[in-house]
Amino acid sequence: MLKVDKVTKYYGDFCAVDNLSFEVKEGEIFGLLGVNGAGKTTTFRMIMGLLEPSSGNVTLNGKKIDYDVTDEIGFLTEERSLLTKLTVKEQALFYGALKGMSDEAILKKLDELLERFEVSEYKDKKIKELSKGNQQKIQFIMAIINDPKLLILDEPFSGLDPFNVELFKNEIISMSKRGSMIIFSSHRMEHVELFCKKIAIMLRGKPVLSGYLSDIKREYRKKNIIVKGDIKKKELESIKGVYEVIEKPEEFEVKINSLSDAENVFKEVSKHKNILKFSVEEPSLNEIFVAKVGEEYEK
Amino acid sequence: MFLTKISLQRKIKTKWFLAANILLALIIVCGINIDTIITTFGGDFNKQRDVYIVDKTNVSFESLKTGINESSKALNTSTHKSSFKIQESDKSEKELKKLVDEDNALVLIADFNENKELSVKVISKDYLSTVDSQLITNTINQTKTSIALATSGISSEKLEQIYKSAEIEYEYTKDDVKAGEEGTEMIMQTVFPVVILPFFMLTLFLVQMIGAEVNDEKTTRGMEIIISNVSPKTHFFSKVLAGNLFVLIQGTLLFLFSIIGLVVRNLIGGNSIVGGVGSEVTSTIKDILNSNIGADLVYIIPLTLILMLITFIAYSLLAGILASMTTNIEDFQQLQTPIVIISLVGYYLAMLANVFGGSIFIKVVGFIPFISAILAPSLLVLGEFGIIEMLIAIVIAFITVLLLIKYGLKIYKVGILNYSSKDLWKKMFKALKD
Repeated sequence: MLKVDKVTKYYGDFCAVDNLSFEVKEGEIFGLLGVNGAGKTTTFRMIMGLLEPSSGNVTLNGKKIDYDVTDEIGFLTEERSLLTKLTVKEQALFYGALKGMSDEAILKKLDELLERFEVSEYKDKKIKELSKGNQQKIQFIMAIINDPKLLILDEPFSGLDPFNVELFKNEIISMSKRGSMIIFSSHRMEHVELFCKKIAIMLRGKPVLSGYLSDIKREYRKKNIIVKGDIKKKELESIKGVYEVIEKPEEFEVKINSLSDAENVFKEVSKHKNILKFSVEEPSLNEIFVAKVGEEYEK
Repeated sequence: MFLTKISLQRKIKTKWFLAANILLALIIVCGINIDTIITTFGGDFNKQRDVYIVDKTNVSFESLKTGINESSKALNTSTHKSSFKIQESDKSEKELKKLVDEDNALVLIADFNENKELSVKVISKDYLSTVDSQLITNTINQTKTSIALATSGISSEKLEQIYKSAEIEYEYTKDDVKAGEEGTEMIMQTVFPVVILPFFMLTLFLVQMIGAEVNDEKTTRGMEIIISNVSPKTHFFSKVLAGNLFVLIQGTLLFLFSIIGLVVRNLIGGNSIVGGVGSEVTSTIKDILNSNIGADLVYIIPLTLILMLITFIAYSLLAGILASMTTNIEDFQQLQTPIVIISLVGYYLAMLANVFGGSIFIKVVGFIPFISAILAPSLLVLGEFGIIEMLIAIVIAFITVLLLIKYGLKIYKVGILNYSSKDLWKKMFKALKD
């Protein structure tokens, strides 16, 4: 289990991470969210042992993370951390050796992963000759070449098309099923919702929301109602408890302050004919993120 | 060790390393055999100039011929061959002038003037070169003296005595200056540029290699992956080790290319009037062996090599530290300039060391790390430095390496993960204090 316990990091007088705590168990995927400068990269660097926390502890299976355990960790940085003058094979031999792997094991694993990610033909090509998307695939392959127990992914879908996002998603889920702990950061909330059971939202170094995604959504009072039928936007807006109506193709998304307002909305909507759909739904993570971050910004 | 191996492979297992060394090998081998290459393509530089002597005195020809030939051979140190083909002629002045115009020949018409003294008319197509003019003038004057002595009734024994060289014995009062080592200045002028230039070149290679690699790993953020797996200390030392192994390999290759060049020279018998690097080397080695400095090389070479090796390490540490502070390759190229200037200062002072013999300033600079690797051995060869001074220079360079490791490592640890040039020096000074 990865345990980040009351971790704080100061750069001079500036507090980059303030009293952050979370746990990631085997097989869990944890989403660390936040706007730029929220402290995500500093947190990743502290987990990787690149930075020493000003206070608090980071432990992996009860042990402080040092060079004895880094062989069990995979790290994908937000920027391309590839030595672009090397070929894919040379890069794999380099990073694999850093993880204590033998050349034979590296090349065997590399062939397997290159095939899975459909980039076998680039094995002897220089990384700088590859497209942005293929470089991202190679970077991902380098991060998982050692079959890490803990995998840290900082914006892993950057530069990928939907087809390749699917490839990555499948691999991440597969690794999670094999028991790997995965920490994940992304600006794309739909990606986080796809994988993560647990999340933490950070703002200016502070965790403003953390816990299981299902609990967060349930506890988030505001809900959405999808309405489809012969009804006008103004009529929906006039219902008590409705604070916003978004017109979508062939349906409306009605935003209410709490679940108790759903009854009012239902009563008013049912007065109209041809109502084809009325569905109360949890808000998206994006809505929660925007709302929470917005609230905190105003403080 | 694998980091060192990978660093070294990244530099050596490249097409450019191979190409650069093929080019270097060609340049060195060709440079050593440049005279043979020039003569192979032909030209009139190897042709002896015809000299026609019309001896109306009947006693001057042999003296003039011997004088011109011997002086010319003495000037051509590499070949000891005369530049002139001398023959006596009884042709008319008109005919000879035709030869002068057509073949660029030289005509000397020797006769006695009204005072029965030797008078020579020299006919040439164009102005004589300074060397040729001096040579002809001296030979004529010597011939004039010889004839005057011979006709004055002096016996042949007496004449021989007169011409015999005077005995000259040199004695020097300074302790470390020995008679017979007067050739040292010549050695400084010829040997040191050859020895120092590869050191200077290898220093640049070393600084560029380490700087570019650290900078590349840093700017690509590959450094984060590397440093999350090995400590900055391990990374730093692996770069220093790889850099120094690289210069040792490159230095050995340069030495091998020179040996190949000399072997080729020996095989093809390159020995012509033009001379070349090869002939310079051959004659310089002879000069070294003939001078007493040959015996001193027993300690000069090991001490120089030790100092150079320590200085290479110091340069590589400095390059690594500076590269860790930069955020892009342009910044590193700018930081590299002072390093090059330091080396250049050492190079020029080493060249000036024999001109300003006894200069306290140069002696003091000879102890300064980085510069000392070039300057201290030069001063040692010149006798300005003794073994003690050389050992002090080595100790100072070694202490510099230790200080660079102690304080430089602190900067390196912070620098390699710093991507902003904002408050850079503040961050580095803070790192030094921590």
